[in-house]
Amino acid sequence: MIKFEKVTKHYSKNKALDDVNLEIHHGEFISLVGLSGAGKSTLMKLIIGEEQIDGGKILIDDIDISQVRKSDLPYLRRKIGVIFQDMKLLPRRTAYENVAFAMEVCGHRKDKITDDVPKILELVGLLHKKDNFPHEMSGGEKQRVAIARALAHRPVLLLADEPTGNLDEVNANEVLDLLLKINHLGTTVILATHAADLVNRIKKRVITIENGKITMEQEKGKYKL
Amino acid sequence: MFDSISAFRIIKTGFVNFWRNSWLSAAATMVMTITLVIFSVLFLMFAITNYSISTIKNTVDISVYFKTGLGEDQIMNIKKDFDSNSKIKEISYTSSQQAFDQFKEAHKNDPLITQSLNELTENPLPATFNVKAYQLDDYPGIAQQFQDPKYQDYISKVNFEDNRPVIERLGKILKFIVTFGIGLIIVFSLIAILVIFNTITLTIYNRKEEVEIMRLVGATNWYIRGPFLTESLLYSVFSTIIAGLLFYPVFTKVLPKVALFVNPQVTLFNQNVFNFWYLLFMMLAVSVILAVFSTLLAIRKYLKI
Repeated sequence: MIKFEKVTKHYSKNKALDDVNLEIHHGEFISLVGLSGAGKSTLMKLIIGEEQIDGGKILIDDIDISQVRKSDLPYLRRKIGVIFQDMKLLPRRTAYENVAFAMEVCGHRKDKITDDVPKILELVGLLHKKDNFPHEMSGGEKQRVAIARALAHRPVLLLADEPTGNLDEVNANEVLDLLLKINHLGTTVILATHAADLVNRIKKRVITIENGKITMEQEKGKYKL
Repeated sequence: MFDSISAFRIIKTGFVNFWRNSWLSAAATMVMTITLVIFSVLFLMFAITNYSISTIKNTVDISVYFKTGLGEDQIMNIKKDFDSNSKIKEISYTSSQQAFDQFKEAHKNDPLITQSLNELTENPLPATFNVKAYQLDDYPGIAQQFQDPKYQDYISKVNFEDNRPVIERLGKILKFIVTFGIGLIIVFSLIAILVIFNTITLTIYNRKEEVEIMRLVGATNWYIRGPFLTESLLYSVFSTIIAGLLFYPVFTKVLPKVALFVNPQVTLFNQNVFNFWYLLFMMLAVSVILAVFSTLLAIRKYLKI
């Protein structure tokens, strides 16, 4: 599904990614571990085309994304859901509106939106909070709204960049359970994290990045640095 | 580029932005209105002066009066001398008989004149040339040529009303309007561009989060830019409406009087530049160009897509 071939990315003189080769298959759940600044976020930004690679090639379903025209990037992004540590919810919109917003801006019809949004909120277990604003929700709930928003386009791939970074253990586990559930339903998930206990719980493929290089790959691995 | 739902949402968001930043929007609309008013005033002044000049230019001619009792062939010989003159646009000849007939026709309702004309035994009216030149500056020279001693046996009088000082003065006014006007329009256009640029930049900052999320969830680039363009187009529409309301009375009340003053034969300027809808269209075009230009500038500089 996603293939990195000798991918290199610099930020001025620092190498954020250095000669990275990686293959991710449909339906996988990947934990991407490493210290802050190791290159996890860069790797994700490259997948959604927010940053351009300096060398090598990234193929998504055999499409070379460096060849994708800038005006076509939005259509690529609709296939990829993204969530972040800081959630990026709109503070003046309710949970429902935040999810609906993602569908609106991509031109979905109103009846489809009113039909889909409650289903997605139910999937993340927040239908009862659909009319709550972000400041009325816990960190875990907010992150679940962000996940719901990322799922609005039924993406084939979900990128989660430190989604539990701001959450306590209970909330973090809730979010992780949700990600596992989404993966179980067929969506490929890439989880970037440095929460060792979460990674150890997942028992799926673990990729370790250090200083822009992949230093370890384990099937059903554990967090090691 | 868009389906109707997206177009509707873009326009709606543009309206919401316009409304939420109502003070900023009002300022941007005001500056744009002032620019349009200045533009229109100068445009009308230019058009009126230009029209006056061409009206006066048309009234300039040389009248050449021949002595009575000349044969037509003698007059035609003189005409031949001038026909080859490339500075002369037209020489129209009125024979003394034609002049007499025209005079009679013009005064047929005046019994006193008709009666005295009937008592005349010979035609007192001279044959005339009416000479028009291509260039205004050529009139004195041409008048001079008719006054040449070799024609003094034939020509009794050369009448040339020199309107050139008036025309020159109007020309100077026109030049002033153009130079001063273009300067003023440039200054105010720049102010309008800056104000709209800043307003749109502020809107972009206000909506930074929203834009970032739109991008992440896959909104197309023009879907993100669209509301900002809509917002600035609203400034143009509103400022055109306000400026149009200010100028409508000028067109219905003031311009007919000015037209009458410039050229008593017309009661309205018979050129489309004096049409209200034409001016309104020009104002809309100017404001749309300014708005789109400054918005694209702001988008290019501050909207990261």
